[in-house]
Amino acid sequence: MIKDILVCLEGSPSTEAATRIAIGIARACEAQMAGLAIIDEPDIRAGTPTGIGGSSYKHDRDETLVADAKRLADDWVALFEGRCRAAGVPARSLEIVGRPAESILTEMEAHHLTVIGRDANFRFETEEHDSRTLNAILHKAMRPVLLVPETTELELGHTVLVAYDGSNAAKRAITSFAASGIAQGRAIHVATVDDNGVVARELSERAVAMLRAANVAATAHNIVSVLSNIDALFKLAGDLGAGLMVMGAFTRGRLRELFSGSVTRGVVEQTEIPLYLQH
Amino acid sequence: MTYPTPIWAVAPFGFYLLLIATLPLFFSAFWEHNRNKLIVAAVVSAPVLIYLVGVRAGGGQMLLRTGCDYVSFIALLGALFTISGGIYLRGSLVGTTLVNTAFLAAGAILGSLIGTTGASVLLIRPLLRANQQRAYTTHMVVFFIFIVSNGAGLLTPLGDPPLFLGFLRGVPFTWTLRLAAPWALVNGVLLVLFAILDRVIATRERRKPHKAGVVSLHPSAPQEPLRLDGGINLFWLLGIVVVVFVMGSYGTRLFGDSYLRSLIQILGLLGCGALSLASTGREVHEANRFNWGPIIEVAVVFIGVFVTMIPALSFLGERGASLGITKPWQFFWASGALSSVLDNAPTYLTFASLAVGVTNSGGGVLSLDDLGGLAAHPSGQHLLAAVSCGAVFMGAITYIGNGPNFMVKAIAEQHHVRMPSFFGYTLWSFAILVPLFGVVCHIFF
Repeated sequence: MIKDILVCLEGSPSTEAATRIAIGIARACEAQMAGLAIIDEPDIRAGTPTGIGGSSYKHDRDETLVADAKRLADDWVALFEGRCRAAGVPARSLEIVGRPAESILTEMEAHHLTVIGRDANFRFETEEHDSRTLNAILHKAMRPVLLVPETTELELGHTVLVAYDGSNAAKRAITSFAASGIAQGRAIHVATVDDNGVVARELSERAVAMLRAANVAATAHNIVSVLSNIDALFKLAGDLGAGLMVMGAFTRGRLRELFSGSVTRGVVEQTEIPLYLQH
Repeated sequence: MTYPTPIWAVAPFGFYLLLIATLPLFFSAFWEHNRNKLIVAAVVSAPVLIYLVGVRAGGGQMLLRTGCDYVSFIALLGALFTISGGIYLRGSLVGTTLVNTAFLAAGAILGSLIGTTGASVLLIRPLLRANQQRAYTTHMVVFFIFIVSNGAGLLTPLGDPPLFLGFLRGVPFTWTLRLAAPWALVNGVLLVLFAILDRVIATRERRKPHKAGVVSLHPSAPQEPLRLDGGINLFWLLGIVVVVFVMGSYGTRLFGDSYLRSLIQILGLLGCGALSLASTGREVHEANRFNWGPIIEVAVVFIGVFVTMIPALSFLGERGASLGITKPWQFFWASGALSSVLDNAPTYLTFASLAVGVTNSGGGVLSLDDLGGLAAHPSGQHLLAAVSCGAVFMGAITYIGNGPNFMVKAIAEQHHVRMPSFFGYTLWSFAILVPLFGVVCHIFF
């Protein structure tokens, strides 16, 4: 059962949704929460060619951006603590100066679940978008991550779709999800996509058995579709009215991803419901 | 044929320029401190100083002359820096395409009067304030660097440091006015391109307004009417123009000795700067975030540039045509290419010295210390015009080509404008500036 939830704080609407969902889980599981705000000073102060006379201006610029990041981090932490207090959930908060991915990965180790806004930008002072941080976290995290898009409903949905491909990451995702307590009281569906319906059925039945061993009842689905794997999963999620999807993250090696693309990346980019991911 | 300057004596100059370009990238914390910059300048200059004082005939005299140029150069930059830091354009306009283009056009003219750094300091913040409500402002800052921070400075020696270095070495004050045609072409085309691009972007912004519900992290300041604070500094600015013009045009007649002339000029420039300091309210300096850091940094770094470039300039002056660069178009592109990755001031003097060498190879008897002879020479003046245009215009190609480029980028980022990376900015300049410079080269060189 989840007893400690880490929420990564920044200013995007998806982090607003992530905080809301994390509070809901914390209340259901009687867990405590920790809010993490990061001041990305290393990227702000990173070296750059400045020309003659430019380093003084760079120094001023760096000081301004670091102070701005600190002020925003203070604001987000105060907002987070206020919301947790209002919801009656015990919470503490942290402000860390460092690189976002490394800081989050280190802090994740001390928490059962990490909740992140899908469009979170932890490098907001230097970059318009920050896919690098999320990519690094999903590739390296040892603990599960709940990724929450802006479009998430007010509460985590009743129906859960587990996308299972038989990989070790997918097995770990099922195991940690079953133990998390999030599955309790929810309708769980397991789906495997494959060109061979028999193979898909066999795999999804295996996942159902794993869940059953953890006292979680689930229904198996096999999908044979002309659609891409990603579209097929989203179609089933839509048909079932799923409010959460569970899957192993980046189950293929980086080289295979490079040539054949990544299902995880596609799902992360397109999802309109929260994703429970484990590498 | 043997030459008085050995090739190894050029190495410290190239090495120092390389260090200036790369140390901020790889050792930014070290490079941040002016004391460390001074140590680097001293270490790299040491072999040149030993060579000049102990080996080279007349080296001491060359060092003294260069020292005098250095102090004059820093006095002008310091005075312009102080005066422009004392002028603040308060208030804000609404950032329409017309207003933005007018800002850049004003900067294109002001740049030659108060220097590209001064014009950039004066105009960048009002331009950013005027466009606080605009969703996309990166292109404005990029074109601001192209026009105000670089192209604007071609018309007078006050406009851009390389031209002032030329002036210190004898190029008449009004000589640069003959570059009005390339100045007008480059800045005119850039203004038109900016107006079209800004119009397109503004129209797109109106069609696709900000997503509802997204809270702005940086709310805009209330509108207030435009007004100039520290207007007295315009008077001190005029003082600088008078000092530089009079000393350049009549200095020899008034004060025969060149060192005395330099001393009077330095005192005049420093006097204008001091009067600016005394007559400017603290609130104006605070509004401009004025501090001495940048000018101290410039003064420290240029010590090394001035010392190490002495043998390099001699080397180029002696070899001249044998180096293979002889045509104005070659001077334009070569001086421009180097100006884009190194600072354009030393690059200008390097290629002006080469132009002297090339002109002398063709029968001229010009002196490296008197670029006025080059500016008056029938063929040499074309080379000097090409070097001037190349050094001034192509300083805009990267963030490090000219002093104000990075300053404008840093100020824009402090105002939360997303600026392109070093290479992203270079893509902008390759897409817009390089074809334009091709046209300039075709027409004028």
